[in-house]
Amino acid sequence: MTGRFLRQTLVIARRDFTAIVFTPTFLVFLLAPLLMVGFAAIGGVGAAQLADGGAERARIVAVLPADEGRRFAAADAALRGVFRPGEAPPELIVETAGADPAKQARSMLDAPARHVVAVLSGPLAAPTILYRPHGERAATWLGEVAERALAGAERRSAPRRVALAAAPSADDGRQSTGFGAVFLIFFLTLLLAGQSVGMLAEERTNKVIEILAAAVPLESVFLGKLIGMFGVALLFIAFWATLLGQGLMLLPDHAALIERIAPAVGMPLFVALFLIYFTLAFLLLGAVFLGVGAQAGSMREIQMLSLPITLFQVGMFGLSSAAAARPDSAVGLFAAIFPFSSPFAMAARAATSPAILPHLAAIAWQMAWVAATVMLAARLFRRGVLKSGGAAPARH
Amino acid sequence: MNDALAVCATGLVKRFGGHVAVDHVDLAIPAGTIYGVLGPNGAGKTTALRMLMGIIDPDEGHCRVLDHDRPRAAGDHIGYLPEERGLYPGMKAREAIAFMGALRGLDWKTGRGRAAELLDAAGLGHAADQKIRKLSKGMAQLVQLLGALVHRPALLVLDEPFSGLDPVNQERLEALIRGEQARGATILLCTHVMAHAQRLCDRIAIIAGGQRRFEGTVAEARALLPLRAHFVPKAGDDTVRALLPADAERSGDGYAFTVPDEGMEALLARLIEKGHGVAGLSIERPGLHDVFVAIVGGNGR
Repeated sequence: MTGRFLRQTLVIARRDFTAIVFTPTFLVFLLAPLLMVGFAAIGGVGAAQLADGGAERARIVAVLPADEGRRFAAADAALRGVFRPGEAPPELIVETAGADPAKQARSMLDAPARHVVAVLSGPLAAPTILYRPHGERAATWLGEVAERALAGAERRSAPRRVALAAAPSADDGRQSTGFGAVFLIFFLTLLLAGQSVGMLAEERTNKVIEILAAAVPLESVFLGKLIGMFGVALLFIAFWATLLGQGLMLLPDHAALIERIAPAVGMPLFVALFLIYFTLAFLLLGAVFLGVGAQAGSMREIQMLSLPITLFQVGMFGLSSAAAARPDSAVGLFAAIFPFSSPFAMAARAATSPAILPHLAAIAWQMAWVAATVMLAARLFRRGVLKSGGAAPARH
Repeated sequence: MNDALAVCATGLVKRFGGHVAVDHVDLAIPAGTIYGVLGPNGAGKTTALRMLMGIIDPDEGHCRVLDHDRPRAAGDHIGYLPEERGLYPGMKAREAIAFMGALRGLDWKTGRGRAAELLDAAGLGHAADQKIRKLSKGMAQLVQLLGALVHRPALLVLDEPFSGLDPVNQERLEALIRGEQARGATILLCTHVMAHAQRLCDRIAIIAGGQRRFEGTVAEARALLPLRAHFVPKAGDDTVRALLPADAERSGDGYAFTVPDEGMEALLARLIEKGHGVAGLSIERPGLHDVFVAIVGGNGR
């Protein structure tokens, strides 16, 4: 790379960086994670409320003789105590058995307004449980309560309960950190590298592409755009890292939280590896998207290209998430080797495994892929720009 | 510079599919001249320019630009105004000019300083800090031209620079082009408006159908066609037509015809001898427009 080429590349990068950052819309872009988290929270609350609504309406019924009914209710109340709020089985209704308990049970189950999902009837020693397909777990619960109600009659003393402090699991924390690393890189590349698909649209619309093509090699334009966008990405990361870091320090138990995060390779090296893998993932995916995006001649084509690109990114995220959970499995090894998932998977591995050597190999491997991809994508870019851009040679 | 040629292109060929856009075109542009590449729409002018600047590679032929065998290598010494104007609408005028300078190797600070000077000189000083989207089309076009000049290029390539400009700005632009020539720059002007070419160009090449049909000075081009005479007889005298050359046509209150090979003297003597009066007579060299039409004809593309 000559000094002139580098200078031209940086001029393009600078223009793109300032054009993105020094606009009011950048503030919206910077706060995009908040919006995404907000929408996710709203969606989550809505879904939970729907689920809770269904669960709250469901009932289970026991049709028993009066004394057995009391024992059954007591056993249900005792067992129910092991559940956290919201996770308990449906509310129990105890009905005193009439002349035909089986018919009584069936009629309760058949009355839709009562939302009964399972009914136990008959003597406790030989109960019958009726349930609908979605009441299978409730039926199991009724069976367990019946067992308990019978056993309770013979039990002389309650089990002794001894409370112990929870033992922290380092593996759990590291896996969470690994998954967090995968998610962060995915999120950042989705947000930033994905934008490079439409980066040429501006030049095409404004007919600036011919000015650029006449003044500097198109490879400079390509790299400049990639570097400009990467600068935006670094600014984005710095902003959120500072904000979240300061926010973390305000938490009363932040030391324990940081200790729980503790990646296997140590925090400083983990941060360095995270940045390296993010850079490589960004350059790799950004180069592909920029090269592919240059083939599009209009905004509509760019929008059509965006969907498969996003799906591809989600695919890499899924693969790497699986690898984060089981890094030494076949999926984990494949994700670590496959160039487009390798940065994600290896960032997760840095959290779960202390070995350094695989990272050196992975970085060399990924750098080779970045170089090859950038060169190939730059050619694609050049061909795409000259074919369908303002500098189209077909116009003469 | 080799024999003071700013551009030397030999045998340039460019094909797009089965269509030959530029067909063995030679161009030799002396340094310090204003050189016009003229041709009808679709003649291959812009494609030829793009090859001269290294935007696209020729299929055949060779270009030597400012003593560089690869036009790209001379990029920092070339200024270019493309036919399709393009500026970033969110950029301020001064910044846009500095950006175009930076693309050609000028540092930003110098670029901004020169941009301010150029804008002042072009009467656009008040618009220096206005965004491009706020400028009129003509103003934006001038800003783009200034962007092509800001790094003081040795070769200035202007593709249809006058299109879209009002007469006042066209005159301004002509003055600006002459000023660049006075500075020592070579100007390659691509146009299909003959009036500008005739006023500005030292030499011209006429391209049609992808081929070079003429190369020389404007005077040489005009000399390709014979002189034209416009004769006005005394009022009411229609019998004079029989004495005029066969190609004489009614033109206004007189007749237009090609000056005979033997000159006008014999014809005038005949007219006087037959007692016809002469109310007016003018002899003109045909303009570049006529030469262009005669050369390009109906198969220009």
